[in-house]
Amino acid sequence: MTENPLDLLPELLVLAGAVAGLLTGSFLARERQRAVAWICGLALAAALAATGLAAGRPDGMAFGAYALDPITHTARAVVAGSTLLVLVLAAPWARGNRRESELYALCLLAALGSIALAGADDLLVLVAAYLLAGVPGYALAGFARDARGTEAALKYYLMGAFLGVLMLAGVTLLYGLSGVTAYRDLAGRLGQAPAAAVGCGLVLLLAGPLTKAGAVPAQFWVPDAAQGASRPVAAFLTTVPKIGAFAALYRLAAEPFAGIEGWRVALALVAAATMTLGNLAAFRQDDARRLLAYSTIGQAGYILVPVAAGGPLSAPALLFYLAAYAVTNVGAFAVVVAVGRDRLADHAGLARRAPALALALAVCLLGLVGTPPTAVFAAKVLVIASAWESGLAWLAVLLVLNTVASLFYYLRWLTPAFRAAPAAPPGPARSLEDPGRSPRPAAGPYGVAVLAAAASVLLGVGAGLFLA
Amino acid sequence: MNAWLLPGVPAVAGAALAVAGRRADRAAPALGALAAAVTVALAVAAAVTRPAGTVRLVGGFASGLAVDGLSAALAVTVAVAAFAVLLFATGDRPGAEARFTGLMLIFTAAMLLTVTATDLLLLLMGWEVMGAMSYALIGFWWRDPGRVRAGGLAFVTTRAGDLGLYAAAGFAVAGAGGLELAGLAGAARPWRDLAAAGIVLAALGKSAQLPFSFWLSRAMAGPSPVSALLHSATMVAAGAYLLLRVQPLLAATGWAATLVAWAGALTALALGLVALAQRDLKQLLAASTCAQIGFLVLAAGAAAISAGAAHLAAHAAVKSLLFLCAGAWLATLGTESLAALRGAARRDRLAGLAFAAGALSLAGIPPLALWVTKGAVLTAVTPLSLPLYGVALAASLTAAAYSARALLILWARPAPGAPAGPPRDRRAGAAPLPGSPPRLRARGISPAGRVSLAGLALGALGFGAVALPPVADAWSRLTGSPPRGEFVSPAELAVSAVLALAVLAAVAVRRHARPAPAAPPAVRHGDARPDAVRHGDARRAGRHRGDRAGAVRRGRTGGGTAGGGWQAGRYGRYGRYGRRALGEWLWLERAAVAVAWRPLPAVARALAWVDDRVIDGAVRGVARAAVAVARVSGREGEGVLDGVVRGVAGGVAWLGGVARRPQTGQAHTYFAQAAVALVVLAVVIGAVGAACSP
Repeated sequence: MTENPLDLLPELLVLAGAVAGLLTGSFLARERQRAVAWICGLALAAALAATGLAAGRPDGMAFGAYALDPITHTARAVVAGSTLLVLVLAAPWARGNRRESELYALCLLAALGSIALAGADDLLVLVAAYLLAGVPGYALAGFARDARGTEAALKYYLMGAFLGVLMLAGVTLLYGLSGVTAYRDLAGRLGQAPAAAVGCGLVLLLAGPLTKAGAVPAQFWVPDAAQGASRPVAAFLTTVPKIGAFAALYRLAAEPFAGIEGWRVALALVAAATMTLGNLAAFRQDDARRLLAYSTIGQAGYILVPVAAGGPLSAPALLFYLAAYAVTNVGAFAVVVAVGRDRLADHAGLARRAPALALALAVCLLGLVGTPPTAVFAAKVLVIASAWESGLAWLAVLLVLNTVASLFYYLRWLTPAFRAAPAAPPGPARSLEDPGRSPRPAAGPYGVAVLAAAASVLLGVGAGLFLA
Repeated sequence: MNAWLLPGVPAVAGAALAVAGRRADRAAPALGALAAAVTVALAVAAAVTRPAGTVRLVGGFASGLAVDGLSAALAVTVAVAAFAVLLFATGDRPGAEARFTGLMLIFTAAMLLTVTATDLLLLLMGWEVMGAMSYALIGFWWRDPGRVRAGGLAFVTTRAGDLGLYAAAGFAVAGAGGLELAGLAGAARPWRDLAAAGIVLAALGKSAQLPFSFWLSRAMAGPSPVSALLHSATMVAAGAYLLLRVQPLLAATGWAATLVAWAGALTALALGLVALAQRDLKQLLAASTCAQIGFLVLAAGAAAISAGAAHLAAHAAVKSLLFLCAGAWLATLGTESLAALRGAARRDRLAGLAFAAGALSLAGIPPLALWVTKGAVLTAVTPLSLPLYGVALAASLTAAAYSARALLILWARPAPGAPAGPPRDRRAGAAPLPGSPPRLRARGISPAGRVSLAGLALGALGFGAVALPPVADAWSRLTGSPPRGEFVSPAELAVSAVLALAVLAAVAVRRHARPAPAAPPAVRHGDARPDAVRHGDARRAGRHRGDRAGAVRRGRTGGGTAGGGWQAGRYGRYGRYGRRALGEWLWLERAAVAVAWRPLPAVARALAWVDDRVIDGAVRGVARAAVAVARVSGREGEGVLDGVVRGVAGGVAWLGGVARRPQTGQAHTYFAQAAVALVVLAVVIGAVGAACSP
């Protein structure tokens, strides 16, 4: 255990970026707020670099409440990387907005919360991280100040608040039963407490991370927020907070609650319900963002499998899946941002108008299915292996079944994209719909989509290296 | 040399051509043939130097390529077949030549990767790319929805089988701790059996064996060079190769080898009968492909690896030759109907002679290639089981019969009254849209195509040399099969030869005894409805099954039995049903649609109903009950329930308040469901804890 603040350098850099961005933004003219994006981007890049340095040091514990181990390092890297991509996505959209700088700062703060969720090794830190990962997200969801954004923000907030209260109740209960909040002490103390009370406390505690992860039974906000919030924010909300939440769930499962009967069964049931519900609900969606939202619920179910399995393969499976998922999901949303329209029918003829974008979409969606050689394929293989070695064969089988089923709705999106467009696109034309009359698509989202697709393939091919 | 060059060169060349798009259209056929020629050289070099390469792709599993004897034989076969087909295709104009050539090269590269992979991971990569390319190539003329659907059907069907390979990979990791193909046979039970089952499923699907055969019938919708490659050395051959490769695993399970042998033999017999009943040349050849691959699968089941590899190589040469000839006639005459093709072989002597060489070889006439290789397979089957041998022998008789039938029709004198030239095409002047089949071609086969046909014909004739003991020994040593008895027994060869010649003679006598028919209807209508003739194959292979049934029925009633070789009136009702069943590929596709495809939406609808009625209703009921409980507990006072329950009850009571306010939209439902699910979770934890602790 150390008390060295430099151990938290990546977190501090992200925080500094947010604060510096906010301060700078309040002194800059509206048309020059772009500088804040650069400040925040640099902070994230610095945090990435600091993570790289920190990953070389031996594992440890900071301030007795914050773990420094591969899980934290991976979460730091993935969160910082995907937030960086989202900033590039958001910058063209936010340009000229009166509160442009706030958008970047809020993204950074929520990312910080997500990292803190991953590193939390104490129930109280977990609660604080939950709030930090959530509250900026509520503001982001309603950032556009339109009716749908407001509804999205309200629903996200209500879900987060309700389940957050339950989580607080769970923390209180567990503290009452054990007298401690640090994970490493909890395990021993909970053994003597009444099992029923511990079970209730656990379930209540679970509500919080499950909300951020977008898993059953707290998945309700995901489709509404993804559809209602603006597109870059939707990409952020369905990617970044989830990373921290899954890491937190894994840490809870591995450290304090490993010995509790029924805990893994409950998690396995949650995983099964989440993947099944997400995939089934996505079947008939005609809105790309809503479809992606349900797909992220399905993916959440897959990511919960190694959490529930808890074998030696689980940690690498989880961490690799998180990285693969973040890259691929941001890539898919980047295509939606670049196209600028949500209905699946609006993507008709995309391959003709923007071949690289359509290719990126194909790579990302097939990647989400788990087609080799993309990253999610390697991740899924690891997840299935981890479920198998832990005796969760039925879950592995269900995962495979769900994967097969998911191909259907991804193809419902891909097929029109690779067909010829209708002769005259209906409705007012914007961005890619009519290159003649509207400005060209912003280079940022286009680039992010292609970059993410390439990263997904590279990560998949290099999976062996990353895991070695 | 570097092992990765072998699949790498065609893959890179193909990708470059495919990406270059329309700009490269002019140069693409020549470049494609050049790349294929380089691939042949690489394959030969690899067969001599036997390179190997490894890479770590996933986790701790070593993946790799290696060229052993079997792989060497297969790689050379694949490369030569691809070269011959691409050389022939230099004279074809399928439209979008760069994309076409690029896809063909990637397809070849995927097959080369499949036959050289030493582990399931690389094998799966090659396997999947091959499936995707087959989709793109079969649906190459994408303006015709029927052809695209044919591609989709092939893809979905083979994909369904591929799931077995994915499962097998998982079982291999579980049972053998690795993905190496060589290590599968040593895996622990029951993983060994599960892995074998998965591999057998995938191989039967890819090789279009029963009950998956129907996709091959639809795969005819692609350009003819695609059929020539897909039916000979790639795609369908991949399944058979995989079974040959994992033969030790099949043998180790104790059941898989027998299963595979019977599946192959029954496919060979059933699809041989199907081929006999086809009225369309390409359909006949497709059914015969299934049947001949059935012999390969049988060889894998009977542990006759050398015989299987020999049959694969010889069949590749024969079948690509036959398909190229059929494609040439389709391009110049605009029809594939056997009735309309009567006498076609007399128009172009080289194509006619090449076709004759291929068909006679397919019939098993001595001393041609398939006579020997089929005899080798039968030799290996003889000691195993007499019924199995009987089925295989009957299957080889059907091969003789359908080959003889096709050959005799194509070399028959043209019917009196048939037009001398191809049907006129009213729109012959207009260039077709990209993605549509090309117009009829006036000129014949290009010089390069002639070289290709001649080369393949020599292969179809000359591979019979493998019957000579020194050659047979060398082949057995090359393909790594332990010399288990003789390669092919002289008695077997004699029996096959006599039977094949007898069948040939019988078919010839039957046809001769029949009066020459009138001009076939397809050509008669040709001038009036050029589209129907030219796109006839697409219609039949395309939109839906009824079309083909209609075509068959029309043919029977319209006096068009010339090409049929069977007269319906001679058979009773059951005979007619049997005949229709054979003509429509045993209704396999209809069965697959009815059994596997239709029920899915029904299940989905049922689940949706359950979700709407049962689960939603339960959630609402539970929420109401929870509110009632909360109210009661509030009245009972604080002492009865502890703080936790109070908290939950308070939360749910608040939920009840929300639920009564409709203006909050759907949030109330969300909350209620979340709460109920958490309660269920708590009950699960409690129940499991109680079950484990006492």
